[in-house]
Amino acid sequence: MTLAADPAVGRHCPDPGREARLAPHRKEATLDQDPIWDELMRRANQGDGAAFRQFLTEVTPPLRRMIRARGRNLPPDQHEDVLQEVLLAIHLKRGTWDGDAPVRPWLYAVARYKIVDAFRKRGRRLHLPLEDVAEILAADPGPAPLAARDAERMLGMIDARSAALVRAVRLEGQSTEDAAAGLGVSPGTARVALHRAMKRLADLARRMT
Amino acid sequence: MTHRPSTDDLIRTLAASPPPPQLGAWGLVLPMLASVGIALGLFMLLFGPRADLVHALARPTVAAKTLLPLALALVALTLAVRSTRPARSLRRSLLALPVAAALALFVARLIQLPSGPVVPELIGSSAAACLLSITALSLPATVVGLVLFRSGASPHPAFTGAMIGVSSAAGAAAGYALHCTEDSPLFFTTWYGAAILAAAVGGGAAGRHFLRW
Repeated sequence: MTLAADPAVGRHCPDPGREARLAPHRKEATLDQDPIWDELMRRANQGDGAAFRQFLTEVTPPLRRMIRARGRNLPPDQHEDVLQEVLLAIHLKRGTWDGDAPVRPWLYAVARYKIVDAFRKRGRRLHLPLEDVAEILAADPGPAPLAARDAERMLGMIDARSAALVRAVRLEGQSTEDAAAGLGVSPGTARVALHRAMKRLADLARRMT
Repeated sequence: MTHRPSTDDLIRTLAASPPPPQLGAWGLVLPMLASVGIALGLFMLLFGPRADLVHALARPTVAAKTLLPLALALVALTLAVRSTRPARSLRRSLLALPVAAALALFVARLIQLPSGPVVPELIGSSAAACLLSITALSLPATVVGLVLFRSGASPHPAFTGAMIGVSSAAGAAAGYALHCTEDSPLFFTTWYGAAILAAAVGGGAAGRHFLRW
């Protein structure tokens, strides 16, 4: 009973029975079907986490294609970082979609903005490693390069709260919930902050090699 | 050596997070209106409206001195609010209507006047006070707007910032006009226009910086 197999359900043909048939875990054949995305996002904004998860899962392939099309001159291993920044922005800004208009133009406008922004940021940053390399080559063989990658030194290069979070969870092995309680933030906030901090550290490590 | 959490992990985390609050237009607009209102209220307590306000307002150019900035403020505020939602269409051309009307008044007065008194009338006697007052009266609303609109997601942060500046300054000018006694369109289109333009440039620069997300 997939929608694709039902000829009566076209894109521009509203069907009041459709919502009832919409199983939350169904993924196939829906990528271009706005009403389903609309419905998922509407439920997501009312607090339905499963609907939001399905929405994000379904929009990921087209977003990935968008990023690949735009980011030909960026190393492919950074495409996934950009994708994650877009997904995070979709979450943080989903309150700006009001449910009256279709969600797809909103989604693509958010994605376009974040992709341009991410590539601009990286375009600036991509010059840094080259300069770093030139400096290292020109400098005397001073302290061992491994020292620069020492975890504590890298933690010193990100903000104190994020560093405390990384230290607690990744180095001391606390659970994210305990670390969140220790810092006085909600577990969700801590998970997002940890995710961002790990990404920044990965960037730093990449720059230091 | 990737420490990157997988995209699936991120999706799971985001889905488990509570949805952020819905962005309401009135939550953006009312504090800005209140800021301009309070600033103008204080200004009127200190300096008062012009003595002949009720009579003067019957003259079309004097009424236009308040109504045109008011129209511009409403258009700019609407555009600013709409621009915080991605993929909303923006009818920027609406901005041209009050501007064109003001320019028409300016040109009409220019044609009507012999060339001698044009420059003194344009410069008037209170240009500095006018620029300073409109800018000062608009600053609180501009700052409040820039802070509140950060919760939006404008794909054009500089435009949104400029519209915040224009709506604040035009709103301030509409109120200031009730105090100002220089009724020549040569004066008020020039100096009100200059103050609003400066607010647009400043708001745009601030928006480019503060309204990114």
